[in-house]
Amino acid sequence: MNTKTIAMGDTPRAAIDAVQAGLAGTGYICGDSIATAVYLAQCLEKPVLIEGPPGVGKTELAKAAAQYLNKPLIRMQCYEGLDEAKALYEWKYGKQLLYTQVLKEKLGDLMQGAVGLQASMDRLHEFDDTFFNEEFLEPRPLLKALWEEDGAVLLIDEIDKSDQEFEAFLLEMLQDYQISIPEIGTVKAKHVPVVFLTSNNTREIGDALKRRCIHLHIPFPDTHLEQKIIESRVPELDASMRLQLVSFVQELRTIELKKLPAVSETIDWARTLLLLHAQELDTELVRSTLNILLKFQDDIENIDAEVVAMTRKAIGAR
Amino acid sequence: MTEVLSNFIRALRATDVRVSTSESIDAAAALDAIGFRDRGLLKESLSQVLAKSVDEKERFSECFDRYFFAEDMSGVEQLQSEAESSQDDQPPGESQSPGGEASGEGQGQGSAEDSDELGELSNADRTELQIAVANAARQAGVSNIRLFTQRGMYMRRILEIIGVETLEEQIRDAPDAQSEQLSQRRAQLIEEVRAQVDRQLLLYTANSWPQLREQILQKTPLSSVEVRDFKFMQALVHKLAKRLVALHSRKKKIARRGQLDIRQTIRRNIEYDGLLFETVWKRKKIDRPKVIAVCDVSGSVATAARFLLLFLYSVTEVIPKVRAFAFSNQLAEITELFQNASAEEAISFALEKHGWGSTDYGRAFEDLESMVLDDVDHRTTVLVLGDGRSNYGDPGLTHLRKIHDRARRVIWLNPEPKAFWNSGDSEMRRLSTACDRVDVCRSIHDLERLVSEIMRTAV
Repeated sequence: MNTKTIAMGDTPRAAIDAVQAGLAGTGYICGDSIATAVYLAQCLEKPVLIEGPPGVGKTELAKAAAQYLNKPLIRMQCYEGLDEAKALYEWKYGKQLLYTQVLKEKLGDLMQGAVGLQASMDRLHEFDDTFFNEEFLEPRPLLKALWEEDGAVLLIDEIDKSDQEFEAFLLEMLQDYQISIPEIGTVKAKHVPVVFLTSNNTREIGDALKRRCIHLHIPFPDTHLEQKIIESRVPELDASMRLQLVSFVQELRTIELKKLPAVSETIDWARTLLLLHAQELDTELVRSTLNILLKFQDDIENIDAEVVAMTRKAIGAR
Repeated sequence: MTEVLSNFIRALRATDVRVSTSESIDAAAALDAIGFRDRGLLKESLSQVLAKSVDEKERFSECFDRYFFAEDMSGVEQLQSEAESSQDDQPPGESQSPGGEASGEGQGQGSAEDSDELGELSNADRTELQIAVANAARQAGVSNIRLFTQRGMYMRRILEIIGVETLEEQIRDAPDAQSEQLSQRRAQLIEEVRAQVDRQLLLYTANSWPQLREQILQKTPLSSVEVRDFKFMQALVHKLAKRLVALHSRKKKIARRGQLDIRQTIRRNIEYDGLLFETVWKRKKIDRPKVIAVCDVSGSVATAARFLLLFLYSVTEVIPKVRAFAFSNQLAEITELFQNASAEEAISFALEKHGWGSTDYGRAFEDLESMVLDDVDHRTTVLVLGDGRSNYGDPGLTHLRKIHDRARRVIWLNPEPKAFWNSGDSEMRRLSTACDRVDVCRSIHDLERLVSEIMRTAV
């Protein structure tokens, strides 16, 4: 297996620990499963399909991995109606037109001596590829990732938002890391990129795509991990406050809500509490800042009655 | 190592995790990269490569735990090597996953010690016995076990391979004291073999019973489906419907691209003095079918009607417009019921309200004509579900023919086998003259084929 950037330690355990430490170095704290996925992606040269509730750090993982592997991050945001022209390449029509205008005068010179239509045509044929070469190709994210000399981290964000046709179009790219452009031919990756796909499961991803990917599901973190995440992201917050806040959020996730608070919300809340110079959670404080954790008025109203008990429980946590 | 992996994948498939060949190759590559030493990592990486959704991951985890306990040879070795590695290179409390394994391993050893005291067998003996049983089991091909009735056969085979007969002979020949010890030993051996076979059975057949039931129910005549199976059948119908929708919904979006519609282009560009400025592309028209389902809900046909309607209303994503009518002695539209309640409730309600009368086709088709004729056009498919038994009355052929003339097609579905048609009061021959197709519709399997066909021609 060629793993160029991850040092192939003597044991996989060591290598995976190294990945974990490396990601932690960029501020992304993760458990074994995520590190294993990153390691396997490199070993098997396979894309990673990341699923999980919104806000658990799917996109962040790709960013952190890019930073850790010291490769450029190329991001492609998917949406309905995304097509090859926007994802892969486009001809620079404007430039082509401009060049034809400028070169019009040259045409007379070229045609000199050609007698008859056939001869002129033949003469022209010698030049026909001039306007369809890489010079006039506008690379879009996918092509850019393939062209990158030292490899890249390609993030295909929210693949579930794109159409099924686009998903099928991705298959060639994800399987062989190559793409066919009719006018030029097949473009092969200079260096196999590390590919991350994220999905929020708004629609079921096709089996064909899943089959080609390593499947990583990121759930909400447990108390221990979430504390570590907050520690890394909001280091100024003191430990007891951190524990209280994380316990409160964990408690909140056990309740039936429209949208559960994710890690990103916990981080925002931690920042808010830091700004407010809060030393300890109390009911008033929680009530006034709850809108950072919960994004639906219904949710806020629903848990209003339980805030007191939950706060007390969070303060008592250890 | 490959045999262990391929057997594991077989066990996975038995628990309804879909593993393709390319995924097994990936698993082998992952195994290469990770190795057998670290159980936590092994589990995590195999789960990422093999299980591709959250509930598949759950089933994977269960199966992994069961398999790598049952797979004695590698299991025992692995547990041992793991014990070493967890003592050697893992500082306590560094990660949580080894803790979980450690407890599992503790149990294994604990039970071994228990039997140690009971059976006067040394620990080494027991491990040896386990390995011998595991090897014999492999020779006996116990991983091919499919049904619990095969248990005895496989146990016998394993015992024969291990050589229980010589042991029995020894027991017969030996003096009393020794014989007692030996028979105890034999009992232990049998116990071990039984446990081994049971584990394998659980592993490879965990999900085969529901699968078998599904297969059988798909082919059972609808009229003989028992009430207790209705819930299961409904789930089955939903599953099949979902598959059909996935199969057909893609086509809905296809508009033919890349072909210039020259006629339209010239017409559109007249305003630019005939300079071809704006292009018009040919598009494929999406034809949304309309389905009118007319179901006889009197006694004999009621079950078939139930599942046909259930099917039709489960594929609304592809066939959005379904009007449903039920009749026994008179006809009533039940479409509204479906809009206000879940399909299952609506069907039960409709059957209760309109079912259980004697069939009167003449009147039903007359009512149908007056109710829907205006709505029938060249996109409408009319499905009639009934046994065609008119109780020697007028089958209402003229009315049906009128509908037939307007509709795209009329399909008659008969839940009776073909041999019974045209016997007694069955009017199938006459009725079929007013239909484009007459078909037997006896099982879920038939239903699926039929609905799929309607959908296919719909696009």
